[in-house]
Amino acid sequence: MIGIVASTLLAITSSLALQVSAAHSLSTPEASHVAQFEQLAAAAAHAREGSRDDAAIQMYQQALALKPDWDEGLWYLGTLLYEKDDYREAREALRRFVALDSKAGYGWALLGVCEFQLHEYTRALDHLQQSLVIGLGDNKQMAVKVYYLTAILLTRSEQFDDSMSLLFSLAASGDATPPLAEPLGLAALRMPFLPAEIPSDRREMVRMAGAAAVALKAQRYAEAERLFSELEAADPDQPGVHFLIGAYLLGARPDDGIKEMKREIEISPSHVPARIRLAEEYLKRQNMDQAIFFAQEATKLAPEDSLAHLALGEALVAKGDMAGGILHLEAARDHSPETVRIHWDLVRAYIAAGREQDATREKSEIERLSNQNAAH
Amino acid sequence: MCLPRVAPCGHPRSLARLFGANYVCYGSRMLLALPFAALLSVAAWAAPSAPQKSFDAVEREAESARMAGRLNEAIGLYREGVRLHPSWNQGWWWLGNLFYEQDRFPEAQASFTHFTAITPKPGAAWAFLGLCDYEVRDYTHSMEHFQRWMDGRGQGSSDLLDVASFHWALLLTRQGRFGRALYLLAGRATRKGESPLLVEAMGLASMRMTNLPEDYPPERREQVWLAGKAAFYASQHHFDRAREYFRRLLAEYGNLPNVHYFQGTLYKLHSRPDEAEREFRRELEVSPRHAAAMLELAQIDLDRDNSANAESLARQAVQLEPMNPDTHYILGRALLDAGRARESAQELERAERLGPEDAAIHFHLAAVYRGLGRKQDAERENSAYMSLRKRDGTLDQASGESEAHHSGEEHQ
Repeated sequence: MIGIVASTLLAITSSLALQVSAAHSLSTPEASHVAQFEQLAAAAAHAREGSRDDAAIQMYQQALALKPDWDEGLWYLGTLLYEKDDYREAREALRRFVALDSKAGYGWALLGVCEFQLHEYTRALDHLQQSLVIGLGDNKQMAVKVYYLTAILLTRSEQFDDSMSLLFSLAASGDATPPLAEPLGLAALRMPFLPAEIPSDRREMVRMAGAAAVALKAQRYAEAERLFSELEAADPDQPGVHFLIGAYLLGARPDDGIKEMKREIEISPSHVPARIRLAEEYLKRQNMDQAIFFAQEATKLAPEDSLAHLALGEALVAKGDMAGGILHLEAARDHSPETVRIHWDLVRAYIAAGREQDATREKSEIERLSNQNAAH
Repeated sequence: MCLPRVAPCGHPRSLARLFGANYVCYGSRMLLALPFAALLSVAAWAAPSAPQKSFDAVEREAESARMAGRLNEAIGLYREGVRLHPSWNQGWWWLGNLFYEQDRFPEAQASFTHFTAITPKPGAAWAFLGLCDYEVRDYTHSMEHFQRWMDGRGQGSSDLLDVASFHWALLLTRQGRFGRALYLLAGRATRKGESPLLVEAMGLASMRMTNLPEDYPPERREQVWLAGKAAFYASQHHFDRAREYFRRLLAEYGNLPNVHYFQGTLYKLHSRPDEAEREFRRELEVSPRHAAAMLELAQIDLDRDNSANAESLARQAVQLEPMNPDTHYILGRALLDAGRARESAQELERAERLGPEDAAIHFHLAAVYRGLGRKQDAERENSAYMSLRKRDGTLDQASGESEAHHSGEEHQ
């Protein structure tokens, strides 16, 4: 029976294809053109609903030849091709689909997933992020997938802190998620790789770091410390290990945290975040010379890092160098205009320097950012 | 991750491959089950066909839609315009640009192909066409079209120059022309700074891998990343930072081919010839048939006026890679230094046939011809050399403009 239906559908398809071809060559009237399109569209939907994917794909393609901007056809064609793991063709259909409807979060999401499968990671990240900005409705499974892929791609593009935030959100969502130990471990150790790209001799180290990060987030400090000890014992000279441990210890036992951060700098001499954490710690301790030293090194290594400029600006202002401090706070603001803390620092610094107008402008910016955040 | 292809629900699932077979099964119908209407932000059905307009009206409306950012409407109108008037090259040009803007590369490729066919001096369209070819994986035509673009003095905005020269560099790497690729990538590094994609591209070229960023094995990611970081910082003359990444590369992958060769090139860039020589020799211990390391050592010998050693190394390299123009070029230089001008000319001519785009070959060939009293040949080679230098200078000049523009922005 199924065979009969399939062959009938194929016959219809072939007949329609012939009509389409004839329509092209003979320029049949508009009404006939529309009728052919509608027949094909209905047959394609019927095939799709009956899980006859190959026939549906063929008919969608024929219908789209008649009406290239048929968004519904592009969407279903894209999803059917995706289901068949034909990511390249699915990507082409979805690119046309999102060009027609740039507000379709699902379209961007599925396009990003196809690009991920094709190893076009930069585009995949852009499009997955775009889908998150637009929204994915209430389909949690799709949202989990998009969050996960976005997070691992953020790590691969060295945006480790953003990746960690997303991964922790994912872990806290309560939804069924893929295993997160490796992605979290990679972000925590600042290794810009996908889970599939972890060097085999360091996979255990990455998992251990991820497990420690999960334990810390869950405030299971004893477990985290045990994992950190094991990590340090197993891989004492690997870049990233001492920074991760130090970041924890700066909160728990700051003197030990400082030692760990300095050890990280010995292993990774251009480690910027370790310097920023040290500058922040010395700032807390009112040791401005040390804070300025590490923050200055950080700004030299990463002139575009807003956190480095922020730390240096705060340290200079605290030491009484208003002009120098303001310059760095302004640099921090220019690199990261959405960070409210920088604007508050500038308000205080401008007031201390007698620059009331500038302080008022920063206050307005804080208000604008607060309203913007409230709106989201 | 090596995961089963079939998820518990029995359907082929890429997600199962991503997350593991025991992870949530999304169901093969999950996406299909989404009602299409729920996905639409706006109803986007095509409007019924309007009565046919004149070409002039279509042209006017297309431009107006494009200028107003109504891209889909503009595409429809330009399509109609080129249907009415197939030799309307501006129509094809804008159609190509609009499709390119939307990442619709097959359609953009077709439009630029039409444009280049009917336009006497297509200029920047060759670069766009090369980019579209790249995206649809037609790498042979992509190289050809980038080449034609550069032959026409590489016209276009500094953004186009950046994107096109970057993709050209990727293709040069794929062809095994690593030095030329790194030259182009270093220019981009100076103009645009660091980016993950640039680091990856520099890593591939530095590790002499004939791969594109999207097609190399995942187990080589760390090696490529470390090499890319080292190459990026070295290209910006931040040698301390380059060394940091290089040390890690050496620690993890020092016994693999190309790592010591790469370190040698970094030392050479840093004007430390003795250390460079040591690393090239180490490379030959790891990979005894490494022709590029032999050629580097031969060049060091030439700098030290040791043409006999240089000739011996170059001859070994020629045997290993007879189709590589560099092997014949270095042998030609060694023979020239040894005063054997006729033999030198033969080798340099072979090099020229294999690598006509290499300015240095023409330069040395001109010198040999002058020595042999072949004035006309010398002039011809000198003129080829000047022309290629001019072409290469286009990139440098554009990068200068780009830098000036960038610093202008910074001062605003």
